[in-house]
Amino acid sequence: MSRIGVPKGFDLQKSVIYVGFFTIFLFFSFTLHDDGFLTTRNLTNIVLQTAPATIMAIGLVFVISAGEFDLSFGSAVAVSALAAAVVLQDYPMLVGVLAGIGAGTLIGALNGVLVAYLRLPSFLVTLATLGLFAGIARSMTNLRSIPVINDSFTGIFGSGKLASVPSLVIWTILAVAVGHFLYWHTRFGAHVLATGDNPRAAQVAGIRIERVRFLVLTLCGATAGLAGILYAGRLQAAKYTLGESDLMTVIAAVIVGGTALKGGKGSIIGALFGSLLMGMLNNGLILMGLSVSDQMIVRGLIILIAVAVSLRDTSH
Amino acid sequence: MNYILKAVLGAASFGLASTAAFAQTIGPNGESATPSSSIVVPAASEEAVRAGNHTAAMLWHDQSDFVNAVTAGATDEFTRLGIEVVATTNAAFDAAKQRSDIETAMTKGPDIILSLPLDPVTSAAAFEEAKQAGVSLVFLSNLPAGYVHPDHYAAIVTDDLFQMGKQAADALAAAMSNSGSVGWIFHDANYYVTNQRDNAFKTTIENDYPNISIVAEQGISDPARAEEIANAMLLKNPDLGGIYVTWAGPAEGVLAALRANGNTSTKIVTLDLSEPIALDMVRGGNVIAIIADEAYELGRAMAAAGVLGLLGEKVPPFAVAPAITVTAGNVAEGWMQSLRIAPPASVMAGN
Repeated sequence: MSRIGVPKGFDLQKSVIYVGFFTIFLFFSFTLHDDGFLTTRNLTNIVLQTAPATIMAIGLVFVISAGEFDLSFGSAVAVSALAAAVVLQDYPMLVGVLAGIGAGTLIGALNGVLVAYLRLPSFLVTLATLGLFAGIARSMTNLRSIPVINDSFTGIFGSGKLASVPSLVIWTILAVAVGHFLYWHTRFGAHVLATGDNPRAAQVAGIRIERVRFLVLTLCGATAGLAGILYAGRLQAAKYTLGESDLMTVIAAVIVGGTALKGGKGSIIGALFGSLLMGMLNNGLILMGLSVSDQMIVRGLIILIAVAVSLRDTSH
Repeated sequence: MNYILKAVLGAASFGLASTAAFAQTIGPNGESATPSSSIVVPAASEEAVRAGNHTAAMLWHDQSDFVNAVTAGATDEFTRLGIEVVATTNAAFDAAKQRSDIETAMTKGPDIILSLPLDPVTSAAAFEEAKQAGVSLVFLSNLPAGYVHPDHYAAIVTDDLFQMGKQAADALAAAMSNSGSVGWIFHDANYYVTNQRDNAFKTTIENDYPNISIVAEQGISDPARAEEIANAMLLKNPDLGGIYVTWAGPAEGVLAALRANGNTSTKIVTLDLSEPIALDMVRGGNVIAIIADEAYELGRAMAAAGVLGLLGEKVPPFAVAPAITVTAGNVAEGWMQSLRIAPPASVMAGN
């Protein structure tokens, strides 16, 4: 035993998301057994409700692992959803999808150019572009919500199913699988981790760190674009506020999921569980019948505990 | 002077001016309004309702004193009728969260849902499952697109929006002795509630007060920008006699701008109760009146409409709760009538 009650080799920081997730899952399973928490429908709802946030979290894992930050995905989601919805009014589904993901990718690429090639700090750049694109989202449609009436689109990106599996669940699985593969099994993933861990050493080793920084921010924009498409499909409409309230949830999901704020370390699967944990907390606290204020207090306390354990610096 | 002003405003606001003139507030689809007081569960049906072991969910758009009062009114009515509230949520104005909240609440199979749909377009799909399940839906202020009464929902209940705007105009005009220039700070969004209130103020000033002119108009979407908007307005129009502000949040910024400029002459009228605004009012500052709604009554009427819908009884499609002009002279009664709570101690101490 390395410490009191902790088995040797057990890394609490690395496992906190899984321990936390299953502890809270078990707690809700017992306390809300008669309130429908464990029904297939409710558990599926949690995955559906967290799908866009999970996909945003995957992009953010790459950015933070490379030692950068992105705040702009909050407004990139709305711009992407609105772009897709507006285009879908006159063009076929594929054009709408390209418009949505393209808008997000372009926003990410703009961040990438400013950070990687003009060497501006990513936190400040994306803080500025967060506001910039929030304003653009509002002016794009003069604050109106845009309905999406393309049935193929709403089926594939929203309420449809493939062999009884909801499309949003399939998109989540696909995004996690691709993200996990890119992160752990490609040179790009290794370069991201090396850049975040020690940029100078990475550069000496021949890694083009500017290119890595540009690509992670562009990728984060693309995932925000896909999240926007999923919101537009799920709500059968797009609105300028979409994604705004996800900013803190996604950051918390990524950090609780085991990605180090200083870069060089992260986990796609951890981010998935982090996102599911946030969704499960929202769901379970509502089913418990707590007042809105009590839901916020309990959720805040649980996230605080999880983040504290995840981030506690053991070097001191 | 302060006493005279209070007396003038008291007369202008007819004391607690709960008006019965509902004709000019119209529903989202042009429905004419019915007073909320007419929505009552018949005594003969109460036992049957209690025996039904029904449940309800309240899925709100935000959290505020107003929502708390609506929740209290609805909860008291549900409790009186033996209906359990199984879920209460706050979507924080996020359309995606509202959809998630509805899905989660539906897990508990409520018979009645009270909610404010965030906007007609995004809410249409969000409430679809509840609509299909035959839940008795009662909407606060907004209506999801394509929903038909009484097949899809029991009723829409809201404030007497036109009267709120009109009473704001009447109160400001009285404070300005019916002459001078005013600034109009309106909500720059496509939002039924604020649009109706703002336009009612403007229409009333233009039609009923020929010696008052609106010389400055400025939209606002972010309340945090109210102070700079008011500063710009005062810079261009230093002789403004009064400013209408669309709701209390931005009015706090406008008040800060007037104070920073040492301006004690420009009057403010705004809508919805707020402690800092009320405190300025009772201390004889720039604020001369706050127009409030009977939020508790609104909640009670929503709950009653939900029960009537559940019983399959006829419910008017669109009902409104009265408006109240709250001034320094009636702040305690007005606060209680609107929110069913006493005003904050600071407001009572300043009165």
